[in-house]
Amino acid sequence: MATDLVAAGAVADASDRAARIGAVTIALAWHLAIALPELLGAGSAPAATAVIAAAWLVAAAVGVVAGVRLLRGGLPSAWGLTAVLLVVDAVVFVAVGQPFAPANWAWGGLVWFFLLVLWRRPVGWLLAVLGAHAAIAFAALLASGAHAPADLTRYAMYVYGVSSLPVAVFVGGAALAALARNRAGTATATAAVEAERVAAEQARADRQARLGLVSGTAEEVLAALAAGDADPADPEVRRRCVLAAARLRRLIAESDDVPDPLLHELRAAADLAERNGLPIELVAVGAPPELPVEVRRRLADPVATALADARAWARLTVVAGPDEVVVSLVTPDQDGPDATGPPVGDGGAAGNGDAPVELEHERDGEIRWTQTRWRRT
Amino acid sequence: MDADQMAQDVTEGPPIGVAIVDDHPVVIDGVRTWLAGEPRLRVLATGDDPDAVLRAAPEAEVVLLDLRLHGRMAIDKLAELSAAGRRVVVYSEHTDPDTMLAALDAGAVAFLAKHEGREHCVATVLAAASDRPYVPPALAGAMVGDPRPDRPALSDKEREALLLWFQSMSKASVARRMRISEHTVKQYVDRARIKYTRAGRPAATKAALLARAIEDGLVRPEEIGIYRSQASTDRPTP
Repeated sequence: MATDLVAAGAVADASDRAARIGAVTIALAWHLAIALPELLGAGSAPAATAVIAAAWLVAAAVGVVAGVRLLRGGLPSAWGLTAVLLVVDAVVFVAVGQPFAPANWAWGGLVWFFLLVLWRRPVGWLLAVLGAHAAIAFAALLASGAHAPADLTRYAMYVYGVSSLPVAVFVGGAALAALARNRAGTATATAAVEAERVAAEQARADRQARLGLVSGTAEEVLAALAAGDADPADPEVRRRCVLAAARLRRLIAESDDVPDPLLHELRAAADLAERNGLPIELVAVGAPPELPVEVRRRLADPVATALADARAWARLTVVAGPDEVVVSLVTPDQDGPDATGPPVGDGGAAGNGDAPVELEHERDGEIRWTQTRWRRT
Repeated sequence: MDADQMAQDVTEGPPIGVAIVDDHPVVIDGVRTWLAGEPRLRVLATGDDPDAVLRAAPEAEVVLLDLRLHGRMAIDKLAELSAAGRRVVVYSEHTDPDTMLAALDAGAVAFLAKHEGREHCVATVLAAASDRPYVPPALAGAMVGDPRPDRPALSDKEREALLLWFQSMSKASVARRMRISEHTVKQYVDRARIKYTRAGRPAATKAALLARAIEDGLVRPEEIGIYRSQASTDRPTP
């Protein structure tokens, strides 16, 4: 998805860059191949020729400045350069005297420079500047005394001829760039929607997995209670309720966004036991590293399960280092067999079997000891 | 909980003099009552100022010191007393591992958490009087979880014994779990403690602990790299 985005951006950049190269090439080629011969081939007075040639050089300088700017990916300063070009325009028209004389390179040549300095600006700006260009030409026409209908027609044809092509290139380039930008925008939006969909699916899968973990215990107990099959006075039923509540509480804590999730989950289990009247001591030494939820589950689940069976008191300890985390629950050993049996099955069911968490559970007549230990492999 | 075998050896001779420094009279009274049940111990002086208490009872062999006096952590005072050879047992409700390890570094003979109860308190004071280590479970937790890069290098067995002792608070259970004798469990735990005499600045109390550990055969001199320079100034080893 990320690569699609980059690619779309690159397409937009590439198409705009091609248009810029085209515009710069046309302007400078026209200036060299058409305007320069016109200027050299004309036989005006030496003083006028010098002024016209100087104007040609100024226009060339503006073209180079704007062209370099455009090819480096920037935009030339529109108004300053436009003003310089309009001055050049007026100077050439005045110096040539006859608007239709071959030496008047400015009429057809300057429009391409307008295109360069107004690149990517609103098309209205270009039309306004072309209008100013036409106005200067019209003033020169009137000043030279040529206002016969034939002259005016010729003038109109000139204005149309020199303006239409640059306007078409300008509008075409802008349209291409807008298309490319749209394409890039669409790709971005598509990628965002796709990412959202994947995240939502992931969240749903996580929720279902957690629900699956709980349904084995909570659902069963609740169903039995609702159907009247289980008697709330029966200690075994109560024990199953405590166990289910412990799991629910831990799974809720699991999705909380807290700095130390393992301790948060264990604290949730300890809170619940405490609320059920069990004096419990939770001592943590060291800060656990970031652990995947699977590993945390395998560390905390057997302990939470054992906690549901605890009587009299419990001591829950966590010793954590960057490469090892050991969780232990010690409770007094009571008579009779384990109510739950060693919580191996629970730990196994919660895991996918390859999380490096060891579980030890033993009773020695004095204490019951449940220990889970993760080591970095 | 576990009675301290070694401390129980100290049965002959006059009772051991204890000074209690705490700024809460109720704590002083409580500890005095605990110690009164043990004939080998006698409280000589109490108060909230270490200097005043020790002026009143300069012969006190063990000082029980509350680490937080009048709102200040008395680590400097602890270091000063330890450097002067006073056997200080720090007694505190501040049981975060950093504080415990800092107290050991400053030369405390032992660190006792206030919630750890009478047995640990009596055992710690008795052990301290004979320059022997006693590691209550909370201190074992702090040692096994010590994150400092320059922490003493403990053997796997020593770490495991500390860890299980911290978890279960029962040396008998640790012994069953590790399939060794209770005496060996205690040896592992105490050996780990002796290795901590190398951490932090040198202190007369650390040298005394180390020398006694070598005398008792708990550690061999070569296990503790720099023991000579510390121990020889205090007491020659046989």
